[in-house]
Amino acid sequence: MKAAAFDYVKPKALPEALSLLAEAGEDARLIAGGQTLLATLNMRLSEPSILIDITDISELKGITLQGDHLRIGALVTHTEIEDSELIAKHAPLLKAAAPHIAHRAIRNLGTWGGSLAYGDPAAEWPACSLTLGAIMIIHGPAGERRISAQDFFIDLYTTSLEPDDILVATEIPIASSNQVFYFHELARRHGDYAVAGLAAVAKKQGNVLTDCAFTFFSVGATPVMAIQAQEIVNGQVVNQDLITKAVSAARSEIEAIADITNSAEAKQHLIGVLLERGLKHLVS
Amino acid sequence: MELKGEQLIAAPISDVWKGLNDIDVLAKSIPGCEEISRISPEEVHAKVMFKIGPVRARFSGKLFLSDIIPDQSCSMAFEGSGGAAGFAKGKSRVELKLAEGGTLVSYTTEASIGGKLGQIGGRLISASAKKIADDFFQKFAKELGGEAVTLESDTSKK
Repeated sequence: MKAAAFDYVKPKALPEALSLLAEAGEDARLIAGGQTLLATLNMRLSEPSILIDITDISELKGITLQGDHLRIGALVTHTEIEDSELIAKHAPLLKAAAPHIAHRAIRNLGTWGGSLAYGDPAAEWPACSLTLGAIMIIHGPAGERRISAQDFFIDLYTTSLEPDDILVATEIPIASSNQVFYFHELARRHGDYAVAGLAAVAKKQGNVLTDCAFTFFSVGATPVMAIQAQEIVNGQVVNQDLITKAVSAARSEIEAIADITNSAEAKQHLIGVLLERGLKHLVS
Repeated sequence: MELKGEQLIAAPISDVWKGLNDIDVLAKSIPGCEEISRISPEEVHAKVMFKIGPVRARFSGKLFLSDIIPDQSCSMAFEGSGGAAGFAKGKSRVELKLAEGGTLVSYTTEASIGGKLGQIGGRLISASAKKIADDFFQKFAKELGGEAVTLESDTSKK
């Protein structure tokens, strides 16, 4: 299969890209790594009239430490995150998650910003950004705005990005010295989309966890936090009794949606399995 | 795929029924509806831009109504073709009941999706169908001047 004909432009700077996007409106698509978009174009599931290649725009590149947060540019690839020393030190959850994303060839091209803007509920980065309390930096015709990950993922494949917006970068608060993390996904084969996954962080003191953030993905229309389970665990000694309570809270507060091969009940069950393993890991 | 749901719409039963049979109201309620026309009392044709995630496909579809009991229930059979993207067909049963605060609309839909949309989009087809149904009822209720409350919506693979 080959894509339908389209125009192609490669602006050098962000303002130029924004005005091209504003001009073309809904007929334009931004392209960075192209790991989802190109497949869709070749299958003719989408036929934009123009592709705006943003890979030359320097403001969208690089991982930098800025005070108490990390700035991850939208064009940073999955592989760059996997190999970055700054990420390993200040956002170790991301390093743990990166190898779960598809396969090496895809990780070499696919981007952080592309994954977030696409908002696939089974993807790793939306879930991690929610767990880590990331802030999305977005540029649109009206200038810059900042939106928390919590407000960014609205619905299935739907984020708060408008058609004329560009996601420029993300800010992530750096991990404290007592941060512990757990990332795991249950998939049929490595590289497949998870049947269910968990991205979790907490602060650990002895057997007590505080500031818990447990985000499940591939279970609903967006990545979803287990707020009640977090509250049950926060500030308490983690023992089997507490784990049982947290597991049953997570299973009842998250409404799983079935996918083509897995029922909602199966996903509901796996949410508990993941949380139990995660809690045991976090306090070990 | 099977899709079931219940929505409470804050409007009297007769208004909801009229709305569901009014192609102007439907045109404004169906997400991405570009064209809609009534061929006969039992047949409606529509063009819909299906836009979800990476997929943007224009479907032209036909809707056939049967077992019509005014203010109560009807059955629908539908088929749509999205050209290279694939096709969808299925049937749906809609029932209206008087409820506290308005009208309770319950629906069950069975649909099958084929072609490339089925292969690529298959993983999230249930979630997509649920989103489209919820969007429809939100807009529909707004058209009738009220609000829709989703009481239950649930999808399962069949």
